[in-house]
Amino acid sequence: MEPFVRSTFGIFIRHLHRYLGNEVECEDVLEDVYADIWENPDHLRAIDSEGQLLRTVYLYYMRKRLREVYRRMNRSSYLSANDMQNLVAPELGLCDLLSQTELKQVLHRMLGKLKARERKAMELWMAGMSNRAIANQLETTVGAVKMLEFRTVLKLRRMLKEYCEED
Amino acid sequence: MPNTDREIQELLADYAGALRDGCLPTFLKSLTREEAKRIRESPDFWEATEVVRLMNSAGFGDRVLTPDVGLFISRVDAGIASRSKKAKASTRDHSRSHAHLQ
Repeated sequence: MEPFVRSTFGIFIRHLHRYLGNEVECEDVLEDVYADIWENPDHLRAIDSEGQLLRTVYLYYMRKRLREVYRRMNRSSYLSANDMQNLVAPELGLCDLLSQTELKQVLHRMLGKLKARERKAMELWMAGMSNRAIANQLETTVGAVKMLEFRTVLKLRRMLKEYCEED
Repeated sequence: MPNTDREIQELLADYAGALRDGCLPTFLKSLTREEAKRIRESPDFWEATEVVRLMNSAGFGDRVLTPDVGLFISRVDAGIASRSKKAKASTRDHSRSHAHLQ
Protein backbone atom coordinates (compact mmCIF):
# COMPACT_ATOMS: atom_id res chain seq x y z
CA MET A 1 0.00 0.00 0.00
CA GLU A 2 2.86 2.40 0.80
CA PRO A 3 4.06 3.02 -2.79
CA PHE A 4 0.46 3.64 -3.87
CA VAL A 5 -0.11 6.10 -1.03
CA ARG A 6 3.16 7.88 -1.74
CA SER A 7 2.41 8.26 -5.44
CA THR A 8 -1.20 9.37 -5.04
CA PHE A 9 -1.29 11.31 -1.75
CA GLY A 10 -0.72 14.73 -3.35
CA ILE A 11 -3.37 14.23 -6.03
CA PHE A 12 -6.03 12.93 -3.67
CA ILE A 13 -5.50 15.36 -0.80
CA ARG A 14 -5.60 18.39 -3.11
CA HIS A 15 -8.83 17.08 -4.60
CA LEU A 16 -10.40 16.62 -1.17
CA HIS A 17 -9.32 20.11 -0.19
CA ARG A 18 -11.67 21.47 -2.86
CA TYR A 19 -14.67 20.25 -0.93
CA LEU A 20 -13.54 20.59 2.69
CA GLY A 21 -10.94 23.35 2.75
CA ASN A 22 -9.55 21.98 6.00
CA GLU A 23 -6.27 20.05 6.20
CA VAL A 24 -7.19 17.95 9.23
CA GLU A 25 -10.52 16.82 7.81
CA CYS A 26 -8.89 16.10 4.44
CA GLU A 27 -6.34 13.79 6.08
CA ASP A 28 -8.99 12.02 8.16
CA VAL A 29 -11.14 11.38 5.10
CA LEU A 30 -8.17 10.27 3.04
CA GLU A 31 -7.10 7.77 5.71
CA ASP A 32 -10.50 6.10 5.38
CA VAL A 33 -10.37 6.29 1.60
CA TYR A 34 -7.06 4.40 1.50
CA ALA A 35 -8.35 1.79 3.94
CA ASP A 36 -11.47 1.37 1.75
CA ILE A 37 -9.28 0.96 -1.32
CA TRP A 38 -7.21 -1.66 0.52
CA GLU A 39 -10.38 -3.51 1.49
CA ASN A 40 -11.96 -3.39 -1.93
CA PRO A 41 -9.55 -2.44 -4.73
CA ASP A 42 -11.65 -3.91 -7.55
CA HIS A 43 -12.66 -0.56 -9.03
CA LEU A 44 -9.03 0.38 -9.55
CA ARG A 45 -8.13 -2.42 -11.93
CA ALA A 46 -7.33 -1.37 -15.50
CA ILE A 47 -6.77 2.31 -14.73
CA ASP A 48 -4.52 3.91 -17.32
CA SER A 49 -4.41 7.63 -16.61
CA GLU A 50 -4.28 10.05 -13.68
CA GLY A 51 -7.64 11.55 -14.67
CA GLN A 52 -9.28 8.13 -14.76
CA LEU A 53 -7.74 7.25 -11.39
CA LEU A 54 -9.02 10.44 -9.76
CA ARG A 55 -12.47 10.04 -11.27
CA THR A 56 -12.75 6.42 -10.10
CA VAL A 57 -11.44 7.14 -6.62
CA TYR A 58 -13.75 10.13 -6.25
CA LEU A 59 -16.86 8.32 -7.42
CA TYR A 60 -16.32 4.99 -5.66
CA TYR A 61 -14.41 5.87 -2.51
CA MET A 62 -14.10 9.61 -1.69
CA ARG A 63 -17.69 10.68 -2.28
CA LYS A 64 -19.06 8.14 0.17
CA ARG A 65 -16.64 9.34 2.86
CA LEU A 66 -17.26 13.02 2.10
CA ARG A 67 -21.00 12.50 2.59
CA GLU A 68 -20.29 11.25 6.10
CA VAL A 69 -18.15 14.21 7.19
CA TYR A 70 -20.97 16.59 8.05
CA ARG A 71 -23.84 14.08 8.20
CA ARG A 72 -24.29 14.64 11.91
CA MET A 73 -24.73 18.35 11.22
CA ASN A 74 -28.04 17.69 9.46
CA ARG A 75 -29.70 18.03 12.84
CA SER A 76 -28.29 21.50 13.49
CA SER A 77 -28.48 22.90 9.95
CA TYR A 78 -31.50 24.00 7.98
CA LEU A 79 -29.88 22.74 4.81
CA SER A 80 -31.58 19.56 3.60
CA ALA A 81 -29.54 16.34 3.51
CA ASN A 82 -29.58 16.51 -0.27
CA ASP A 83 -28.29 20.10 -0.39
CA MET A 84 -25.67 19.29 2.21
CA GLN A 85 -24.50 16.42 0.01
CA ASN A 86 -24.45 18.66 -3.08
CA LEU A 87 -22.32 21.14 -1.21
CA VAL A 88 -19.82 18.76 0.38
CA ALA A 89 -19.82 15.75 -1.97
CA PRO A 90 -21.16 16.99 -5.31
CA GLU A 91 -21.12 15.22 -8.64
CA LEU A 92 -17.97 15.84 -10.63
CA GLY A 93 -18.32 19.21 -12.33
CA LEU A 94 -16.51 21.47 -14.74
CA CYS A 95 -12.79 20.91 -15.10
CA ASP A 96 -12.83 18.82 -11.90
CA LEU A 97 -10.38 16.30 -13.27
CA LEU A 98 -7.76 18.78 -14.41
CA SER A 99 -4.43 18.40 -12.67
CA GLN A 100 -3.40 21.16 -10.26
CA THR A 101 -0.96 22.63 -12.80
CA GLU A 102 -3.51 22.59 -15.61
CA LEU A 103 -6.16 24.12 -13.35
CA LYS A 104 -3.86 26.97 -12.36
CA GLN A 105 -3.01 27.63 -16.02
CA VAL A 106 -6.65 27.60 -17.11
CA LEU A 107 -7.77 29.89 -14.28
CA HIS A 108 -4.87 32.24 -14.95
CA ARG A 109 -5.92 32.45 -18.59
CA MET A 110 -9.58 33.02 -17.68
CA LEU A 111 -8.69 35.71 -15.13
CA GLY A 112 -6.75 37.47 -17.86
CA LYS A 113 -9.94 37.76 -19.91
CA LEU A 114 -11.87 39.55 -17.14
CA LYS A 115 -12.28 43.30 -16.75
CA ALA A 116 -9.57 44.90 -14.59
CA ARG A 117 -11.84 45.42 -11.56
CA GLU A 118 -13.23 41.89 -11.71
CA ARG A 119 -9.75 40.40 -12.05
CA LYS A 120 -8.42 42.48 -9.17
CA ALA A 121 -11.26 41.34 -6.87
CA MET A 122 -10.63 37.69 -7.73
CA GLU A 123 -6.87 37.96 -7.36
CA LEU A 124 -7.16 39.68 -3.98
CA TRP A 125 -9.61 37.00 -2.83
CA MET A 126 -7.23 34.28 -3.95
CA ALA A 127 -4.43 36.05 -2.10
CA GLY A 128 -6.41 35.43 1.09
CA MET A 129 -7.81 38.92 1.66
CA SER A 130 -11.13 39.48 3.42
CA ASN A 131 -14.04 41.13 1.60
CA ARG A 132 -13.60 44.21 3.78
CA ALA A 133 -9.93 44.49 2.78
CA ILE A 134 -10.88 43.99 -0.88
CA ALA A 135 -13.52 46.70 -0.54
CA ASN A 136 -10.88 49.06 0.87
CA GLN A 137 -8.55 48.29 -2.02
CA LEU A 138 -11.28 48.82 -4.61
CA GLU A 139 -12.65 51.84 -2.73
CA THR A 140 -16.16 50.49 -2.51
CA THR A 141 -18.48 48.79 -0.01
CA VAL A 142 -18.36 45.19 1.21
CA GLY A 143 -21.82 44.59 -0.29
CA ALA A 144 -20.63 45.80 -3.69
CA VAL A 145 -17.59 43.51 -3.48
CA LYS A 146 -19.78 40.49 -2.73
CA MET A 147 -22.00 41.30 -5.70
CA LEU A 148 -18.95 41.84 -7.93
CA GLU A 149 -17.48 38.50 -6.82
CA PHE A 150 -20.77 36.68 -7.41
CA ARG A 151 -21.16 38.06 -10.93
CA THR A 152 -17.51 37.43 -11.74
CA VAL A 153 -17.66 33.85 -10.50
CA LEU A 154 -20.69 33.21 -12.74
CA LYS A 155 -18.84 34.81 -15.64
CA LEU A 156 -15.83 32.58 -14.94
CA ARG A 157 -18.11 29.57 -14.91
CA ARG A 158 -19.44 30.39 -18.38
CA MET A 159 -15.87 30.79 -19.61
CA LEU A 160 -14.78 27.52 -18.02
CA LYS A 161 -17.78 25.73 -19.50
CA GLU A 162 -16.83 26.96 -22.97
CA TYR A 163 -13.22 25.90 -22.37
CA CYS A 164 -14.22 22.41 -21.20
CA GLU A 165 -16.62 21.93 -24.11
CA GLU A 166 -13.95 23.03 -26.61
CA ASP A 167 -11.43 20.76 -24.97
CA MET B 1 -24.85 40.98 15.29
CA PRO B 2 -24.68 38.45 12.40
CA ASN B 3 -26.79 39.07 9.32
CA THR B 4 -29.57 36.46 9.33
CA ASP B 5 -31.20 37.45 6.07
CA ARG B 6 -28.38 37.20 3.57
CA GLU B 7 -28.93 37.59 -0.15
CA ILE B 8 -27.60 34.89 -2.45
CA GLN B 9 -24.40 36.80 -3.32
CA GLU B 10 -23.68 37.23 0.39
CA LEU B 11 -24.28 33.54 1.00
CA LEU B 12 -21.86 32.64 -1.77
CA ALA B 13 -19.25 35.05 -0.39
CA ASP B 14 -19.64 33.50 3.06
CA TYR B 15 -19.45 29.94 1.67
CA ALA B 16 -16.31 30.87 -0.28
CA GLY B 17 -14.75 32.47 2.79
CA ALA B 18 -15.59 29.48 4.98
CA LEU B 19 -14.13 27.05 2.44
CA ARG B 20 -10.99 29.12 2.08
CA ASP B 21 -10.55 29.41 5.84
CA GLY B 22 -11.37 25.74 6.50
CA CYS B 23 -14.43 26.42 8.63
CA LEU B 24 -17.32 25.10 6.54
CA PRO B 25 -19.27 23.86 9.63
CA THR B 26 -19.52 27.45 10.89
CA PHE B 27 -21.12 28.49 7.61
CA LEU B 28 -23.49 25.52 7.63
CA LYS B 29 -24.57 26.26 11.20
CA SER B 30 -25.07 29.96 10.44
CA LEU B 31 -27.77 29.34 7.84
CA THR B 32 -31.33 30.28 8.74
CA ARG B 33 -34.33 28.42 7.37
CA GLU B 34 -34.95 31.22 4.84
CA GLU B 35 -31.33 31.28 3.70
CA ALA B 36 -31.26 27.49 3.26
CA LYS B 37 -34.39 27.80 1.11
CA ARG B 38 -32.79 30.61 -0.89
CA ILE B 39 -29.76 28.40 -1.56
CA ARG B 40 -31.89 25.43 -2.59
CA GLU B 41 -33.82 27.54 -5.10
CA SER B 42 -30.86 29.30 -6.69
CA PRO B 43 -29.24 27.52 -9.64
CA ASP B 44 -26.72 30.41 -9.79
CA PHE B 45 -25.51 29.57 -6.30
CA TRP B 46 -24.86 25.95 -7.21
CA GLU B 47 -23.08 26.88 -10.43
CA ALA B 48 -20.96 29.43 -8.59
CA THR B 49 -19.90 26.90 -5.92
CA GLU B 50 -18.22 24.82 -8.64
CA VAL B 51 -15.97 27.74 -9.57
CA VAL B 52 -15.34 28.67 -5.94
CA ARG B 53 -14.09 25.14 -5.28
CA LEU B 54 -11.76 25.29 -8.27
CA MET B 55 -10.42 28.69 -7.21
CA ASN B 56 -9.96 27.47 -3.68
CA SER B 57 -8.03 24.51 -4.99
CA ALA B 58 -5.85 26.58 -7.32
CA GLY B 59 -5.16 29.23 -4.71
CA PHE B 60 -4.79 27.20 -1.54
CA GLY B 61 -4.67 23.51 -2.50
CA ASP B 62 -0.91 23.27 -2.03
CA ARG B 63 -1.09 24.08 1.68
CA VAL B 64 -2.57 20.64 2.43
CA LEU B 65 0.56 18.80 1.40
CA THR B 66 1.86 17.25 4.61
CA PRO B 67 5.63 17.51 4.86
CA ASP B 68 5.84 14.04 6.42
CA VAL B 69 3.84 11.60 4.32
CA GLY B 70 5.51 8.78 6.31
CA LEU B 71 3.53 9.73 9.39
CA PHE B 72 0.32 9.73 7.38
CA ILE B 73 1.21 6.30 5.93
CA SER B 74 1.69 4.90 9.44
CA ARG B 75 -1.83 6.10 10.32
CA VAL B 76 -3.22 4.44 7.19
CA ASP B 77 -1.39 1.22 8.12
CA ALA B 78 -2.82 1.35 11.65
CA GLY B 79 -6.33 1.82 10.23
CA ILE B 80 -5.88 -1.11 7.88
CA ALA B 81 -4.49 -3.31 10.69
CA SER B 82 -7.50 -2.46 12.86
CA ARG B 83 -9.94 -3.30 10.08
CA SER B 84 -8.19 -6.57 9.32
CA LYS B 85 -8.27 -7.49 13.05
CA LYS B 86 -11.99 -6.77 13.18
CA ALA B 87 -12.58 -8.83 10.03
CA LYS B 88 -10.68 -11.79 11.53
CA ALA B 89 -12.56 -11.52 14.82
CA SER B 90 -15.92 -11.47 13.07
CA THR B 91 -14.97 -14.53 10.95
CA ARG B 92 -13.94 -16.36 14.14
CA ASP B 93 -17.21 -15.45 15.88
CA HIS B 94 -19.13 -16.53 12.82
CA SER B 95 -17.41 -19.96 12.68
CA ARG B 96 -17.88 -20.43 16.46
CA SER B 97 -21.60 -19.78 16.27
CA HIS B 98 -21.74 -22.07 13.26
CA ALA B 99 -20.01 -24.87 15.27
CA HIS B 100 -22.52 -24.36 18.14
CA LEU B 101 -25.38 -24.87 15.76
CA GLN B 102 -23.91 -28.15 14.57
